[in-house]
Amino acid sequence: MRNNNCRVVRQELDELMLGEACSSSAAEHLRECAECREFNQQQTRLRQIVGSLGTVAAPADFDFRLRARLANDSSGTAAWLFTRRGFAFATVLLIFATGAVLMRNVLNRPAAREEVVTTTPSQVPVPQPPKQVETPEQNALVNSGEQVGGKPLYRRPQTIRNEQASTTVAKAPRRLVAEDFSGTGAQVINRQEPASAFEAFSLDASPQSFKVSLDDGRGNARTISVPTISFGSQRMLQTGNQFAPKRDW
Amino acid sequence: MNTLTTIEELGFAPALQQDVLEDTTSDHALLEATRSGDQDAFAELVSRYRNQITSYIYRMTNDYDGAVDLAQETFVRVYRAADRYQRSYAFSTYIYRIATNLAISELRKRKRRKLVSLTGFFQPSDGAEAKELNPPDLRPLQDSELVDTERRNAVQRAISTLPEKYRAPLILRDVDGRSYDEIARILETSEGTVKSRISRARGFLREKMRAYL
Repeated sequence: MRNNNCRVVRQELDELMLGEACSSSAAEHLRECAECREFNQQQTRLRQIVGSLGTVAAPADFDFRLRARLANDSSGTAAWLFTRRGFAFATVLLIFATGAVLMRNVLNRPAAREEVVTTTPSQVPVPQPPKQVETPEQNALVNSGEQVGGKPLYRRPQTIRNEQASTTVAKAPRRLVAEDFSGTGAQVINRQEPASAFEAFSLDASPQSFKVSLDDGRGNARTISVPTISFGSQRMLQTGNQFAPKRDW
Repeated sequence: MNTLTTIEELGFAPALQQDVLEDTTSDHALLEATRSGDQDAFAELVSRYRNQITSYIYRMTNDYDGAVDLAQETFVRVYRAADRYQRSYAFSTYIYRIATNLAISELRKRKRRKLVSLTGFFQPSDGAEAKELNPPDLRPLQDSELVDTERRNAVQRAISTLPEKYRAPLILRDVDGRSYDEIARILETSEGTVKSRISRARGFLREKMRAYL
């Protein structure tokens, strides 16, 4: 009970201003409690010492330095604002540029997807095979089905499959053209046709290589030489024993 | 019957003039004038508060040159923010709040830099009892003025070892003599917290200043 009273009285003494009179109950408690009395004396002494610190005067040139500082700050503020505005302008420009690039990418991407979706095998445009620059003589020979040196003019067949073409279109941003061979029938070799209709040549014929000349249109001519296919010492004939065991040949 | 022709004849003209005079020289009016570009009004504000603010920051930081610098920074901020000033609080509360924030920022900067004054106390980081680098000479001095000076130096050093949250309310209360309400508004906390912190601060000081009490 007494400790409780001491705490209340000390709290009251703590909250009083220096020199302010305490309540009658607190004064009565101080008369009875030596500890609280000592506490009050120490507290009062401490507050007197702290209060004696007083006010420290500012230096005489305080106003002058403050004016100089304000003048510097105003010019510094203007420069800072200018820098800040420039920085903000550059940031806005950067954001716009980034946005434009992103927008361009976004706009281009759906077009490519749409092309993939609409490119069904039946609607695949007829491909324009890589244009080979050919000499007029070669063109004429190809169109007429004639042969050069007893052999037909070789043209590299287009073997791009439809799936591959679609995949390629989906990956590449550009418009690609794929050739659909699903509607084109393969060449059928009929056995009933006379053997003379096919090329049959003896293996002991002169091993003359098969050559194709290509011109890229810029004056660069290239010649592709395909060596003669050899099947060993056997003679390649389109006859009935074609599928017979080798030893019967 | 004489009729009244001028307002002075009513008898309260001097009181009215006094009110107007007080209003034009109040802190709020001076700041209003500063806002409209009156440099003399700002100079008057500075002359009113420069010593108080410098002293307060000095008690907080225990560094006179730094205190002068921070006091000037306080006035610079008041000048810059004159347009945004609101009259909801007293101007003294406003300027003391700025000064307190600057002082606490400076104390935290020092703490980060581990700046220790060789003439002060070593303050342990774990809250243990601070060790005094230059312990007081307990022998009685002949001159009472020297005794007072020594005592003031000791209490100033002891205050500088207090945690910042105890230091500011103690200075505002026991050195500047401000009310709990105003201290609570300056420190932006409750009055109960202020009382509690002041009590704790006095307890710390009493322990450190036991030789002088």
